[in-house]
Amino acid sequence: MSGDEGRMEGRVKGRPEGVHYGGAEGRAEADELLRVEGLEVHFPIRRGALDLLPGRQHGAVRAVDGIDLTIRRGEVLALVGESGSGKTTTGRVVVKLTAPTGGRVVFDGRDVTNLRDAAAMRDYRQRVQMIFQDPYETLNPKQSIGDFVAEPLDVNHLASSADDRRQRVLAALDAAGLRPAEDFARRYPHELSGGQRQRVVIAGVLVMGPELVVADEPVSMLDVSIRTELLRLMLDLRAERGLTYLFITHDLALAWVLADRIAVMYLGRIMEIGPAEGVIANPHNPYTRALVSVSPTTTPPAAGVRATRTILVGETPDAAHVPTGCRFHPRCPLAFDRCRAEEPPLFDVGGGQAAACWLAEGGRDLPILAGIPLPGVGVATPAAGDELAAGDEAAAQA
Amino acid sequence: MTAGVERPPRALPRLAVPGAPLLEVDDLRTHFTLAGDVVRAVDGVSFRLDAGEALGIAGESGCGKTTTALSLVRLLPANAKIVGGSIRLHGIDLATRSETAIRRYRWREISIVFQGAMNALNPVARVRDQIAEPIVERLGVDGRTARRRAGELLELVGIPRARGSAYPHELSGGMRQRAMIAMALACDPAIVIGDEPTTALDVMVQAQILDLLERLRERLGLSLILITHDLSVIAETCDRVLIMYAGRVAEEGPVAEVFTRPRHPYTQKLLNAFPNIQADRRTLDVIPGSPPDLRNPPPGCRFAPRCPMAMAVCSEIVPPEVAFGDRVRVACHLYPEGSSGEPIAVPAVAQVGQA
Repeated sequence: MSGDEGRMEGRVKGRPEGVHYGGAEGRAEADELLRVEGLEVHFPIRRGALDLLPGRQHGAVRAVDGIDLTIRRGEVLALVGESGSGKTTTGRVVVKLTAPTGGRVVFDGRDVTNLRDAAAMRDYRQRVQMIFQDPYETLNPKQSIGDFVAEPLDVNHLASSADDRRQRVLAALDAAGLRPAEDFARRYPHELSGGQRQRVVIAGVLVMGPELVVADEPVSMLDVSIRTELLRLMLDLRAERGLTYLFITHDLALAWVLADRIAVMYLGRIMEIGPAEGVIANPHNPYTRALVSVSPTTTPPAAGVRATRTILVGETPDAAHVPTGCRFHPRCPLAFDRCRAEEPPLFDVGGGQAAACWLAEGGRDLPILAGIPLPGVGVATPAAGDELAAGDEAAAQA
Repeated sequence: MTAGVERPPRALPRLAVPGAPLLEVDDLRTHFTLAGDVVRAVDGVSFRLDAGEALGIAGESGCGKTTTALSLVRLLPANAKIVGGSIRLHGIDLATRSETAIRRYRWREISIVFQGAMNALNPVARVRDQIAEPIVERLGVDGRTARRRAGELLELVGIPRARGSAYPHELSGGMRQRAMIAMALACDPAIVIGDEPTTALDVMVQAQILDLLERLRERLGLSLILITHDLSVIAETCDRVLIMYAGRVAEEGPVAEVFTRPRHPYTQKLLNAFPNIQADRRTLDVIPGSPPDLRNPPPGCRFAPRCPMAMAVCSEIVPPEVAFGDRVRVACHLYPEGSSGEPIAVPAVAQVGQA
């Protein structure tokens, strides 16, 4: 049986009864702000002009490969993954910067996957906004802060008068903690520190009065002390304005501090999802467990602690060559035959948590004593012909 | 640490002072000139590094940690100058050597792995040739020998020898960082400085690189200086840590002491601002304010304007560095000479997170 069939089975039939990927069960549907169903983003690989002809496709980069998510109003959901996991692409689909090739996006009860109507699109752009990673690249060096923040109002013709425009800009700057707002509105990006620039970016988002904010690594370029101030601003805005966040990050520890729920992505799929506490303290997917074990800590290692880290061998495979079966199996220290053939669906493991791993079937714990991570350096067999992975293995065993 | 399983005992440089410590930096001052103003990027930094030891230098952007590293290898930008202090390698002062004389020591005694391997590698040269180049240049061997040595170095850092013919863009971020490390090892130095060696890498790749550095240190008996803003990197790989703030040393000592019983209020805040999955705490301390402008630093303690514990003396007199019995030295008026040195917990001014 080919692995592809297994994968299809996982995707089509993969949603066991009674599992709410959206989190706590029994919540009123009205609570739900965003739902993503079976989302797929496949970028075709074209080698030449002839490939533009129908039926000539050479394959695809499966950046996002069938994910389901829900976010409740006022919730912070963290999407955690390494480079190439599809977390940023997922965020871009939600804000409609990238078109999905499959699945649908439902916002506030309405399918927004294919918004054609300009008015509906404008409405959506007001309600869903994105914060990008690099405040240095987001800002235009020749544009004053006031004009930058006003730009979304101008583009969408939202300000009724020059005075209304000004008031909205000042209110947004003030809400982003740039006070006195009038003073900041006149400045230019080079006059601001990195933390202030990211606040300007946040003001540019707030001016639209959004309900959902997709924040893509909003603090990863910043120093710790500036970082914590911005995180505080983000949480304050949630408390004051009921903002909902899709927080995209590579940093599991940061997600743990900020998020209500965490979804861990690997190569375009969700490997585990659930309340932050549960995912971190009791991961049911070997990938999550490995990520937790290597998550940076400032506690100096005691003798022997080093041995409890699971350093995975090799690197995340390329999304154009997704392994068959469970896409994590070539690097998984616990992989067995079924993992190589069939892709596991998300299994409910209780407490609103679900893990995509055959070992979690029926809600079982990973076959390791609770609390003790996988032993030593992982020695997964690298995929045949993958010399990079082989090199890493050599290093790991050196 | 059993030094050098694989390599013969290193010959000391000709001018080495017998019995001198490996590296001793004393009152180093490196200043920048920026549009007529003097920026005191490094303003009186002292530390020592012994053979086989790993020292971490931590701090936020602009604290002078990278400038300190560049001063050690004398690769400062044109507008920067070492204006005072000494850098003694085996007793030889590198701070005052001529540009020609310094070449005897750079790469051969102290080498550096720059941050951002993507930008530091030459995009149009094969990785193997880039590693071989300094070997030919510095050690005066022929090209074939150098390329063979480059192949060995690549294997040492976990890149298959055959991949040496690749160009940088053909390698992943982790592989490029490994190649940078191989390059730093090319002339068999005693000290390797890593300037943010794992920043911008994924956590799993970061763990692989740190693991590699650890193994290399044991196997080759290297001494390491890791420059990073990421305290966790230091907690996991270093013996000692030096916390810098605004061009000066705030606290320095064994990792086990400084990270578990931090004394300086800045060290405490920095540690509490770091998210830690292994801790039960889900809140982070917020450090209000921002570091001072080093063109015109505040008198007294430079952290005083942001310090919740600041006293009148702090804004007037520069706190002297005081060493305590557990080999930790602190520059803070809370711990004067002759005090017990018992850490004084700084209250959180503001916190963020899911309490």
